[in-house]
Amino acid sequence: MRRLLAGLVAGSFLLTTAACGSSDDSGSSGKASSSGGVTTVKLGLIPIVDVAPIHLGQKQGIYEKHGLKLTISTAQGGAAIVPGVVSGQFQFGFSNVTSLMVAQSNNVPVKAVVNGIASTGVKDKDFAALMVKKGSPITSPEQLEGKRVAVNTLKNINETAVRESVRKAGGDPDKVKLIELPFDQMPAALDQGQIDAACVVEPATASIRSQGGVEIASPLVDIAPDLTVAMYFTSQRYAQQNPEVVKKFQEATAESLAYAEAHPDEARAVVTTYTKIPAAVLEQVVLPKWPAEANRASIEALMKLGEQDGLFKTTPDLDKLLP
Amino acid sequence: MKGLNLALGAAGLAAFLLLGEAVPRLGLVKDAYFPPTSRIAGALGDELADSAFWTALGDTLTGWAVGLAVAACAGVVAGVVISVVPYLREATASTIEFLRPIPSVALIPLAVLLYGTELRSVLLLVVYASFWQILIQTLYGVQDVDPVAEETARSYGLGTWARIRYVLWPTALPYVMTGLRLAAAVALILTITAELVIGAPGLGARIAVAQTSQAVPDMYALIVVTGVLGLLINVGARSVERRALAWHQSVRGEVAV
Repeated sequence: MRRLLAGLVAGSFLLTTAACGSSDDSGSSGKASSSGGVTTVKLGLIPIVDVAPIHLGQKQGIYEKHGLKLTISTAQGGAAIVPGVVSGQFQFGFSNVTSLMVAQSNNVPVKAVVNGIASTGVKDKDFAALMVKKGSPITSPEQLEGKRVAVNTLKNINETAVRESVRKAGGDPDKVKLIELPFDQMPAALDQGQIDAACVVEPATASIRSQGGVEIASPLVDIAPDLTVAMYFTSQRYAQQNPEVVKKFQEATAESLAYAEAHPDEARAVVTTYTKIPAAVLEQVVLPKWPAEANRASIEALMKLGEQDGLFKTTPDLDKLLP
Repeated sequence: MKGLNLALGAAGLAAFLLLGEAVPRLGLVKDAYFPPTSRIAGALGDELADSAFWTALGDTLTGWAVGLAVAACAGVVAGVVISVVPYLREATASTIEFLRPIPSVALIPLAVLLYGTELRSVLLLVVYASFWQILIQTLYGVQDVDPVAEETARSYGLGTWARIRYVLWPTALPYVMTGLRLAAAVALILTITAELVIGAPGLGARIAVAQTSQAVPDMYALIVVTGVLGLLINVGARSVERRALAWHQSVRGEVAV
């Protein structure tokens, strides 16, 4: 027993020192490690359909070709990714454009580097939808006045989107009761009548469709045609210190985006490697658009609406934020 | 008696599983959101056949074991030092009482800022949560030392180290073991929570992916796995406790003369 305890003590001290040792190693390596012309960069991504081009690009060797080796860490949301990128744990992360603008208006040093996803721009055929339950009396967004509408995050892109859909249809967005709810809980909440409408993205959109839910608006399409929804970003410090790595990442990602756009079946297939979306649902999923370039005009429109809705403390500086 | 207990336990579990099968089948809840037991079992089978599941299980167990080991050693050492050094207990009491109730989960932003989504951020949370369990028990244990035994040891000329080894440690050990058992459970909870919220690799992250992927039976299957893990850890901790305290009257079950 005594020996066992002594062993345990010694073992855990070793572990602690080892842990401290390794934290020193990587703590100082805010920069990516490089060897033999190949730079290893760490990415913080959310395990969703949107980031399929990165996984596909990695699988197809596109990043390797540009001298990059990707280490992909999955994080549960922007709340973990933005601080991770700013503190140098990740070199690049994935975030929606509104979050990036909010971060920048709060002086968080982020820099968007390359396009992420865009809305399909086609009404009723977008990956995001404002949906009501089967048999609901609500048929148009302006009827949502006084009703409970779920968005995944308040004061963010989907709030802007829902408000714009209501406004465009002639309703008063201030009269809509917005409720914060994670996307994956929306199908159940809608089905049980806890909410009257939900602003959902895939694969929840497909789930609600399969329950007979009806789409009453395509909120991202209402913001702007071909809206750039999300982008890959880095920290300003990393962008200044490693312009070549950022350039390689931009080029490789643009190529991956183009590849995914041209090969939707492969993109769909790669999604199964990092999510658990059931095959039957995945078939029904509407893929986003993956243009290689961000659409500046659409981001300006999104910013104007965000300002109107009071999302930003100060006006975001798009010249500084965008690549 | 033991056989009867076992049989009763098994019957209770079987009834629970049957209820889980019947409730969604009878339409009391929607089976899309609460799948019947059989469908969860099917998903569990698929999980067990997937090598990624075993990697995730390994990640979770690593986080749990390393975190618990660090917390146990640090807690015991700190507890003994705080109790033995004069005035230190009084000086640290208010600080400990301030730090102890901070929920580990509240440290998630700090963990992400320091260590990103790696094992180390899980460890930070696990160690923080389980350290206090062990520290507090050690403090109580050391306080429980019989003054007569302590004085007798002094009279016989035992040095500090010998008194810690032969008087203090045997008195504190039952408390430490209780602390260890509590900490083992807390460490598992925090490991899964950290993975679930931060997305560090492990069972928790797998649950989160299943959840966002609308793969409901998979999600329940993984939750069942964490439950089984908790059960095994509790059984394991109890058996360690029994072995370590085989000499103690609480385990021996007879009154010391």
